Amino acid sequence: MAHDTRLRPPPDRAVLSRRTTDRLAGRFFWLIALAPIALILVIIVTLAWRARSILEVKPLGELLTGEVWKPISGQFGFAPFIVGTVWVTLTTMIIAVPICVLCALYLSEYAGSRVRGAMKPLLDILAAIPSVIYGVWGLLAIVPVVQSTIAPALQQFLGFLPLFDSKNPTGFSIFSAALVLAIMVTPVIVAVTYEVLQTVPHGLREASLAVGATRWQTIKHVVLPKALPGVIAAIVLGFSRAFGETIAVMMIVGNVPQMPRSIFDAAYPLPALIANNYGEMMSIPLYDAALMGAALILLLVVLGFNLVAVLALRQAARRAV
Amino acid sequence: MQRQMRRAMVTALAAALFVPLLAACGGSPAAPASGGEPQGTITASGAFALYPMMVTWGEEYQKLHPGVQFDISAGGAGKGMTDALGGQVDIGMVSREIKPEEEQKGAYWASVVKDAVFPAVNEKNPVLNDLLRKGLSREQFIDIFITGKIKTWGELVGKPEITDEIHVYTRSDAAGAPETWAKYLDNKKQEDLLGIGVFGDPGIAEAVAKDPLGIGYNNLGYAYDAASGKPVTGLVVLPVDANDSGQAEADEVLDSKTKAIQAVASGKYPSPPARALNLVTKGKPSGLVQDFIQWTLTDGQKFVDSAGYIPLTPELLSEGLQKVK
Repeated sequence: MAHDTRLRPPPDRAVLSRRTTDRLAGRFFWLIALAPIALILVIIVTLAWRARSILEVKPLGELLTGEVWKPISGQFGFAPFIVGTVWVTLTTMIIAVPICVLCALYLSEYAGSRVRGAMKPLLDILAAIPSVIYGVWGLLAIVPVVQSTIAPALQQFLGFLPLFDSKNPTGFSIFSAALVLAIMVTPVIVAVTYEVLQTVPHGLREASLAVGATRWQTIKHVVLPKALPGVIAAIVLGFSRAFGETIAVMMIVGNVPQMPRSIFDAAYPLPALIANNYGEMMSIPLYDAALMGAALILLLVVLGFNLVAVLALRQAARRAV
Repeated sequence: MQRQMRRAMVTALAAALFVPLLAACGGSPAAPASGGEPQGTITASGAFALYPMMVTWGEEYQKLHPGVQFDISAGGAGKGMTDALGGQVDIGMVSREIKPEEEQKGAYWASVVKDAVFPAVNEKNPVLNDLLRKGLSREQFIDIFITGKIKTWGELVGKPEITDEIHVYTRSDAAGAPETWAKYLDNKKQEDLLGIGVFGDPGIAEAVAKDPLGIGYNNLGYAYDAASGKPVTGLVVLPVDANDSGQAEADEVLDSKTKAIQAVASGKYPSPPARALNLVTKGKPSGLVQDFIQWTLTDGQKFVDSAGYIPLTPELLSEGLQKVK
């Protein structure tokens, strides 16, 4: 009892003002924390406002499904760009996800502390390289190899599948862009997957190993199921990164506004559309509205995917505890 | 003790809030000093075609007026136009004609120098000798770049046994070179050009130089190497058969920068793809920017030759000067 009275502060004015200050500070920080959210809203509203003039002339359905992009003749079909973005991103993920998840599993479950200590900084460096450097490297190293070796070889052996058959004779293709993008998303996916795997309690692994399971059985039946939502979140974060990447993709993907049919076709993703044509915005009627519309679509999709990632990560954290 | 700490905290908070505000309010751009030596920063962005010329002019102008700083970047004619109209830069470098919509939005321009777009192929092209002997007519370029009717190099030179496909490259970014090249091809627009889109003037040169079956187009300064005066390594500039003779005459084979400049200056090389390059401002220029543009049209012209550009006719120059004054 004596303890309690000593802990409780004497009720004088200083304390009241202390509480008020505390509350004020809380409110103030709440306001500051609100700013980033408000910023996203402001961006969405601005883009929607600037895009409204094209929505007044063309119905949204026509914009989203139209396949012809000839702004000077007043044709604004977004379909080739949306489909192009999806092709590039999906191809990237098909290449990157297995490698990244296995790499994270190795780092987390097999690697000794020395290997881990060497690998982690290397991955961080990969994440720190500016994307224009990836673009130039893709242009000089990947595009010629795809043109001279990879595309002809795959077309020869798998050309009966439409996915690998293409009339595009150059190396500027979805596949080249996806190869470079796969390397760019690797640090993101590996780092997040690794952290998620680390949250799985050690006791679980020990229990599994104690009843005679091998390491791989432990990973397959204990670690991975536990960490699955987190791994999915890592993949989705990588997906958003690939979806929105602009300059590196723009330099190697070929930028032809067509509906791609094969991974060796050229495509024209949304971010490249905006970056390439930003310059003509002022000169062609409705062009700026169309580009703002494209930006809005891109933003909403990336936001959506990030939201999914956050929810999945939260699920993962709950499961791991 | 508590009060002191609280006061310290409040002060720190206030400082954290207001210092950035104050910083944001200060730092207005330096205005030209009235009467005396010009001072300030001139910013410019836009056409790759005009970038090297602008850098030279910037350096020379700075020698005369050490108080003036330049901030010049290349990013395509479209970017130059948008930046100038949007107020991000003082001067937009635009390597194509100014469109009426842009003039309505306040684009004010003066032509300062002449340049041309040249078609180029890879030096290992399978029919290179035929191409250099005959040249290509406007109709043939249309069939390659616009309609896509001609698909192989053999078809192009009348040797159907050669079935190597033509790999067409074009610019992906909105720029003056593709606009001008498309204008030459039956008055078309950049969006009508076929081919794989590559970013930037150097990008398209690189792509064609790496692809034996490639064809593309470049501005003078990017088709030819500045040091040697020969086409960039790996590239061959195609003769344009302007008089439709079916033969590439000696003055149509542009194997050096000197010959290319002569052909453009004498009017032998068609226009387009030769065209004037423009400096664009939002509204009529004033102060430092006005002085600089006037200088490029007068004293600045003596650096045009050495920078590897083609001078405008005196009539066009004085017309530009009238507009800026």
